[in-house]
Amino acid sequence: MNAVLSIARTTLGEAIRRRVLLVILLIALLLLVIAPGMNGLTARQSQTVLLSLILGVLQLSSAVIAIVLTVYMIPNEVERRTIYTILSKPVLRWQFLLGKYLGAVSALGLMIMLMTGTMIAVFAAFQGPNVETLASLARVAMMYFVQMCLLAAVAIFFSTFVQPVVNFFLSGGVYLVGTVFGSLFATIAESQQLPQAVRVAAQIVMLIVPNFGQYNVQNSVINSGAQIVGEGIYYTNLAVYGVVYISILLLGAMLVFDRREV
Amino acid sequence: MSLAIETIDLVKTYKHRGGASNTVVDNLNLQVESGEIFGFLGPNGAGKTTTIKMLLGIIGQSSGVANVLGREAGDIEIHKRISYLPEKPYYYEYMSGLELVVFYASLFGIRDNDRCKELLRRVNLANDMNRPLSTYSKGMQQRVGLAQSLINNPELLFLDEPTGGLDPIAHIEIRDLILQFREEGKTVFISSHELSDVERICDRVAIINKGQLVAQGRLTDLLAGGRVEVTAEGVSDAVSQSLRHENRTVSFKDGRLILDAPDSDDLNGMIDALRNGGAQVVSIIPRRKRLEDLFIEAVAEDDTAKGRQRGRMTDGNSDGTVSTEVEEVKTGEGESS
Repeated sequence: MNAVLSIARTTLGEAIRRRVLLVILLIALLLLVIAPGMNGLTARQSQTVLLSLILGVLQLSSAVIAIVLTVYMIPNEVERRTIYTILSKPVLRWQFLLGKYLGAVSALGLMIMLMTGTMIAVFAAFQGPNVETLASLARVAMMYFVQMCLLAAVAIFFSTFVQPVVNFFLSGGVYLVGTVFGSLFATIAESQQLPQAVRVAAQIVMLIVPNFGQYNVQNSVINSGAQIVGEGIYYTNLAVYGVVYISILLLGAMLVFDRREV
Repeated sequence: MSLAIETIDLVKTYKHRGGASNTVVDNLNLQVESGEIFGFLGPNGAGKTTTIKMLLGIIGQSSGVANVLGREAGDIEIHKRISYLPEKPYYYEYMSGLELVVFYASLFGIRDNDRCKELLRRVNLANDMNRPLSTYSKGMQQRVGLAQSLINNPELLFLDEPTGGLDPIAHIEIRDLILQFREEGKTVFISSHELSDVERICDRVAIINKGQLVAQGRLTDLLAGGRVEVTAEGVSDAVSQSLRHENRTVSFKDGRLILDAPDSDDLNGMIDALRNGGAQVVSIIPRRKRLEDLFIEAVAEDDTAKGRQRGRMTDGNSDGTVSTEVEEVKTGEGESS
């Protein structure tokens, strides 16, 4: 475990210094800070618009950071030859991969925490310190974090066998399908009017592609009328789903990486 | 003497899409003795780094045997007793030299900052260990690399181009460190293009070309067979005639005789003949065979042999005599190595 934690620490140290990630983070922070001003330009000056805007910025920038952070992680180690100095030590490949993942997730957590802090401060400054809403915002951000951990696992899985550019689009595509088109595939899978083959195909896609959409719990904050029934159980289920999916993806990545010639 | 590394008919073949394959290491048989500095030479693309990766267990062999310190290459227990310095490594630049060595120490479960500092002092980085690696020169990067490779007090070090691209002073520093490793009883396996360094520090060498071993042995044996050049004045025709021999060349320049002979010849006899004939010996210069000559000879011979082999195979395709011709050439190569 020593080796895993050391690799994770090094990965975190490197990730928080990567310029491209810092630029994305900076842009996200800037957008969060100016969001109330942008809201002022719209016709409907309401809390709903502001919430939608800042949560949208948080989710999108977190997703971009998660993908950019992980797609280059393994290829960079190979290109710089640092992987050889590590794997020639008593470090197993799964330990290396797990260390890289944990480092990436820690970096993601830090960045999401920073953005969430900014978001909460901005919201409190413009809409007043409503404790309940602020706590809900933190909860939504927490779910985004789990979502991004899942996305990072997808990207690290692909990074064991595809090039970074392909991985960028592949992971982005999986995220898009799992977030935006999840409900569309669910509708297709359940539609009795469509041929059986199409429904089975939709079911297979739903089975393979993680359901990122279920982590988008912002509606309960944005729309005051919306409420999650059995909130505690729902969030626990989401966490378990994430852990299971992440474990499967990391296990797959370890199996592929163990056989890969670096 | 026990063997630190042994490979038997080691083969690495990469298969490409479409069924084509490329054999990068071909039936390699290496023996590296414990406690020696072993030079592993070959032109670019000869298969040196691939061989090292197989010995480290980073990639697997297609066939054959690779043993390191008496165990199968890749055994995680062996990794505790070996170390590796890759060619032109690029470390985590945000770290300082000390942080880097501490990181590599942690991979062994070693938590001893004093030992890390001591290693950095040993490679002359005492005053720079807290500076970020991004500010290090090439030589300093190489030295910090050596420091990290010593953290587990390894019995066997793999150094890939340890002096490549370094200035003369950094060159000497690294060379001296490698010589110190031998004094400490460590085995050092060096892959290098710096033939002058290899010639100075290695006990034995192996040369590979296109994945195949073309020469292996003690440097003193491989470089045996040098020549000696004797210059003398006032040499009569009769004496110069008596000195002529099958393996010698005799020439005159500015009235001086220049005699070029194998160093195995009777040097005293030649000098006696000159002096008894009234000549004055001006200089005696031994012309030792250099590793560079051996390297070029071995690689060129191998290329020629392979060229012949290809030619015969092409001819063979038309007359159906491929297998016999190829077999003959291969046998010849086996004998020469």
